[in-house]
Amino acid sequence: MASGRNKRGGLLKRILFLFSFFLLPFAFIFAFSFVAHTQSPESARGVVRLKIRYKSAEGTKDLPRKRFFLVPGSLEQNQPLIEKIKALNATSRECYYRSHGASEALIKWLKDNDCESVYCREVEDKYLSGAEAVPEFLKAFAQALGELKNREVARRWLANYLAPEIRSGFYDQKQKAIQSLVNDVETSTRKTVMSIMTDRKGTAYLTNIEPGTYMISNLAGSETEKTNILWICEREVKATDLGTAMKRPMILSNEKDPKLKCEVIERPLPVCNK
Amino acid sequence: MPPVNGLREINTMLASHKHLAPTALSRALWVCVIVLFFIGGTEIVGSIAAQTRRRPRTTTRPKTQTSAPRGAPPKYSAFLHSSDKHKNLTCNECHKVPTSWTAKRDFPDVADFPDHDACVRCHRQQFFTRQAMIGTGPAICTVCHVRAAPREQARFAFGKPNNSAQQAKAKDERQFTIEFPHDKHQNVIAMWHGLQSVNTSLHHRLKSVPLDDKKPDYNNCSICHQTDMSLAIVALAAPNADPALLHPFKSMPRTHDSCFNCHWKNQKPAAADCAGCHKAAPTFIAELGRKRISAKFAHEGGKGEHIAECTTCHINITRVSTTRGLTPDVPLNACAACHRDSKKITYSKAVTIEAEIEQFNKTGECSYCHTPDVGKKKPPASHDAAVQ
Repeated sequence: MASGRNKRGGLLKRILFLFSFFLLPFAFIFAFSFVAHTQSPESARGVVRLKIRYKSAEGTKDLPRKRFFLVPGSLEQNQPLIEKIKALNATSRECYYRSHGASEALIKWLKDNDCESVYCREVEDKYLSGAEAVPEFLKAFAQALGELKNREVARRWLANYLAPEIRSGFYDQKQKAIQSLVNDVETSTRKTVMSIMTDRKGTAYLTNIEPGTYMISNLAGSETEKTNILWICEREVKATDLGTAMKRPMILSNEKDPKLKCEVIERPLPVCNK
Repeated sequence: MPPVNGLREINTMLASHKHLAPTALSRALWVCVIVLFFIGGTEIVGSIAAQTRRRPRTTTRPKTQTSAPRGAPPKYSAFLHSSDKHKNLTCNECHKVPTSWTAKRDFPDVADFPDHDACVRCHRQQFFTRQAMIGTGPAICTVCHVRAAPREQARFAFGKPNNSAQQAKAKDERQFTIEFPHDKHQNVIAMWHGLQSVNTSLHHRLKSVPLDDKKPDYNNCSICHQTDMSLAIVALAAPNADPALLHPFKSMPRTHDSCFNCHWKNQKPAAADCAGCHKAAPTFIAELGRKRISAKFAHEGGKGEHIAECTTCHINITRVSTTRGLTPDVPLNACAACHRDSKKITYSKAVTIEAEIEQFNKTGECSYCHTPDVGKKKPPASHDAAVQ
């Protein structure tokens, strides 16, 4: 009986030993898994607050409504992309529309609000008759009214009746070039290129960024009153919160800033043939 | 619990069959090892799967959803775009663009169910056979009509066909999701401005100054998003009992009007290309609206100062091509720009974040900015950080 008990006791010990032998590693796995799941993925991310401004003859201005891209990698690593950006043949808005036979009134209408396409402004009644009338709008409105039979709907929907090159040709052309650059980068780096648009005060936030070195650029240049400005800058992004980023914005300007690793190419807008 | 059962089994075996003990022991040990190995393996696989699992979508699907039944006899009172036959049709084989629009809308639209022909050309049998007439009449009629009767004119609202024959569902479930790339639209309409804000009367009243027609209104988001008077928060205490302040949320487009401004024809996806925006869901999906957990924020309030640019606070909206999975993207710093003690001189009557935290310490609730579900929770560290 005693030997039987000893045997059973030994067996139990062996079972317990085996049990703990297997259980302990799994306990570690459990603990690791729990920590991994409860850690906030946002905590190790960075934020960049961009503030874009430019100096012109009329003083320093904020650059509103322009898209900036965050490309993974340093300027050196992105040299092939930079070459492509510099080689882009950036037609100005005015030259594009003139080359497509747009009227002076339409060119002025687009320029008044820095519009890249007709979608950026509501076409008000005053542009459909009288001194400020835009011939392209008049033609489209007449066609829309004939089809829709409702003056108000025809006015609001008239962009549907404009020729594609007048409607958004310049914007489409620019986007095609930008998208091609972005696709190249995304294919080569296998990372997504983030982009953000500045608000009317030239501010934009790039949030939830993986820490590392990045290139920040507007890729196709941004038209101001008299020039086209292209920014190609480098920024090391560290894990930080929004509050800190707000206090320390990354200011991009067309003026030289020795603290920034930045190449700014400012070209006067070309003179277009009328 | 296999390991415990295994031990019992071993003990029982040892007690009753001592002569078999050596063989039984080694077998029992092997059983134990295999069971433990199996459990451990499952844990590892589970852990790896959990690590690599994609983040869940924010669009929640009710448990009662069903896709097109396979094998089960079809219920002709329940229409599913996702059924095998229907999904092979192009949209305009049934939906004609526009429907008789002048009667339904003040603009051309797809505003009504397809004509009878769209159903009858395939479902003649379900409409006209003797079997179909048994009982309350052809069940297929009740996809659109509230009752199957030859002279029945009353129909369900377009876009919400009958689903009574299916399992219980929330009323606003849909068979499609809508894709709206905010980033692309911001590109083209970012400079948009109308003559004045859409909600003119409210704007005038709160600002107490006439609108300057020459001053651009940069809230281009207001083309599609306006103050939603159907969504209200809990009543605010006086002196903030202005009804306008009870409606902090913005609406989403419910008709095609704002889409067709640009996408009626030529600009892709044009009106006839329904699938350009409406992506068929394999099952019914919940209503499009996000869960509203906002603070008591009145877009039209703020002593007139909230009438700022949308992207000043919604900092991520021009970045994303879809809002699915986007967390509330208004950082507290956006509020702290004005609602903090150091700024109080400018906004003397505005409650500050510091005051809210002080109130929480006294009453256990932040009630000026938050609804009770959020306000009773301890203010997170971000609140302190924002005012430092």
